[in-house]
Amino acid sequence: MLKRFVRAATAACLAAGLAATAPAIAQTTLEFPTWQAEEPGVSTWWKDLVAAYEKKHPDVKINLQQVPFAQFVKQMTVRFAAGNPPDIVHLPSRDFASFADQGWLEPLDARLARTDIPANWPALQSEMHWNGKTQGVLLMGYGGMLYYNEQKLKDAKLGVPKTPDEWLAAMKATTDAGKGQFGLATITAEHPNMVVEMASFVIGEGADWLKAGKYNFTDPAVVQAVDQWRQATGYAPKGTNSATARQLFIDGKVTFLRDGPWVWGALAKAPADVRPNLRIGALPFPVTPGGASNSLHLAAKTDAKKKEAAWNFIVMAASPEWQSRYALTGSPAPRKGALTAADLAAHPHLKVINDEAAKAHNLFPEVQAVRAEYNDFATLVTRAAMRMISTQDPTPAVLSDLQAELARQLPLK
Amino acid sequence: MRPSLHDAERRLAWLLLAPALLAVALLIAWPLYVIVQMSMRPGKALAISELMARPLGTANFDRVLHQQALWDAFGHSAVYTAGSLVPAFVAGLLFALLFHRAFPARRWLRSLLLLPWAVPGVVVSITFLWMLDASYGVVNAVLRDLGILSTDIAWFVDARTAMAAVLVPTVWKSFPFFAITILAALQSIPETLYEAARVDGASAWQRFRHVTWPGIRGPALLAALLNALWTFREFDIIYASTRGGPAGATETLGILVYREAFESFRFGTAAAIGVLMLGTAAIFVALSMRVLRREFT
Repeated sequence: MLKRFVRAATAACLAAGLAATAPAIAQTTLEFPTWQAEEPGVSTWWKDLVAAYEKKHPDVKINLQQVPFAQFVKQMTVRFAAGNPPDIVHLPSRDFASFADQGWLEPLDARLARTDIPANWPALQSEMHWNGKTQGVLLMGYGGMLYYNEQKLKDAKLGVPKTPDEWLAAMKATTDAGKGQFGLATITAEHPNMVVEMASFVIGEGADWLKAGKYNFTDPAVVQAVDQWRQATGYAPKGTNSATARQLFIDGKVTFLRDGPWVWGALAKAPADVRPNLRIGALPFPVTPGGASNSLHLAAKTDAKKKEAAWNFIVMAASPEWQSRYALTGSPAPRKGALTAADLAAHPHLKVINDEAAKAHNLFPEVQAVRAEYNDFATLVTRAAMRMISTQDPTPAVLSDLQAELARQLPLK
Repeated sequence: MRPSLHDAERRLAWLLLAPALLAVALLIAWPLYVIVQMSMRPGKALAISELMARPLGTANFDRVLHQQALWDAFGHSAVYTAGSLVPAFVAGLLFALLFHRAFPARRWLRSLLLLPWAVPGVVVSITFLWMLDASYGVVNAVLRDLGILSTDIAWFVDARTAMAAVLVPTVWKSFPFFAITILAALQSIPETLYEAARVDGASAWQRFRHVTWPGIRGPALLAALLNALWTFREFDIIYASTRGGPAGATETLGILVYREAFESFRFGTAAAIGVLMLGTAAIFVALSMRVLRREFT
């Protein structure tokens, strides 16, 4: 009796063990770190996409991991350097070149030829070329947006600014630091996006700090634009990073916020008395600054089976259905015709976002040497920016020193 | 010839030490060897395996020693170490003297004294970031209400105040270590010495100078040495609050190493700076040991 019981129990345990392990043995797990896993608006899209993919491919599981943006590129670089890249590679497009230059990314030309992506993606997809090969799929090209608190403008008897001077005047008029109210929320602490803030003013004014393959920081037009940015930071709380800046705007403590279209989804978290006043519009610059925001890639040195599964995920993300859903989150989708006329009529903010994306000028460096060393470039520019925020040193002197330092550390041929 | 009992004891001693020695070899000696190796491999390679395959050379040391950033970082590290050590020591000494006296709830308050030391550096940074926030921080608000400030100070963003701003949380976190160490030493001083001093008419200062200080000097100096070494290589508090900014105003050697390695991806020069830090710390320890040997022998 006892022997029979022991045999039965052993058989049951073995069966349970096999049942539990059988799917795990056959299942492929793809690692997918991203800074957008918890970002309002787009995070829902990612989670829905992952769920749909897993339903379509029951033998594949995707491990979606949130990594804060400020540490994201560093973490990915360490992973690649250590030979442990993620399976689905999501990168800020400004950093794509430094990864591609290391030979870390898989060329995708042959794979793309079997899809409709080349025919339906915008010209900005060319940013994914490196050393003659396409090494990524653009996920978002955007134009910078102006978010504003309409009530604060009404209280100050001001309209929505249409020029940089009007904008600065509106910031000044709506700033009362003693009451914790500021005209602008912008990055005023060491942060990877500090460069974007400053570059927005430079490109927006039709200038460029990289011209004809040379550093151009001492150009009077660049100096004037940077001075405008510096003046703007005087109307912003100090020590703010991008997350804090967005939160201050959402909380109704600031009048203006310059950021990407992805902030639209976060506005839903605003208090009930603030939300109706929060609007989105075009930046008051003659030129719309923007560029390639982020992109998807495959790591060159990963398992072939995982690579194939990851590519299927990217193709799914690029499909008309998922591109349409992506566009409805507020982020401009790269696929042509992702939004219908009915979508645009139902969501007026999407028209503004897509119009600005269509006419945006790239604010990220296009010089190959700078793209390959973007981190070093950004570090030096950020240091100069912080010097302008935290000291009284004249802008031309700071930019002249910056140019000299760049010429020394990042010489351009 | 049979091995002596002494030989057997020695073998047993080595056998018992073996696990510890293996741990030291794996966790300290091997990483140290790799770091020194990396520091001698010139060139920028983001793959560590590729870097380690390069020929040996001193170009990394040549590069960093000619960088102004290194000497600035040395200066910042010296200011940061001395600037936190002295106030933390004085605060710890005062608290230790206070808690050596008998008063109600002394035992309970002694436990509270340890709390700052137990809080992780990142949490300390975030707390003080908010307290010292330029626009919404409680410190600026209180100083304005007291009439000490007429405008808000951007403590962490102004190059003139950023170093002081990172020193405040550092001192707050490190003074309990001195307090507990000195308090333990105080309790080993016989009360009879104080009684004798009082009978001889010694003042409070004379009792401190001739009874208290000689009794706590050894442990206090050892605590100062340890704290100086920890502060010299401090990273958490500074990086979480200023990232070495603004414009390099709080960039110590620890921050510079991190930036070289994980922002510029120059692992070789980062390792070279690390080796220079190690050498500086070793010199400091060697000089301090002469003083400490006098106290403990």
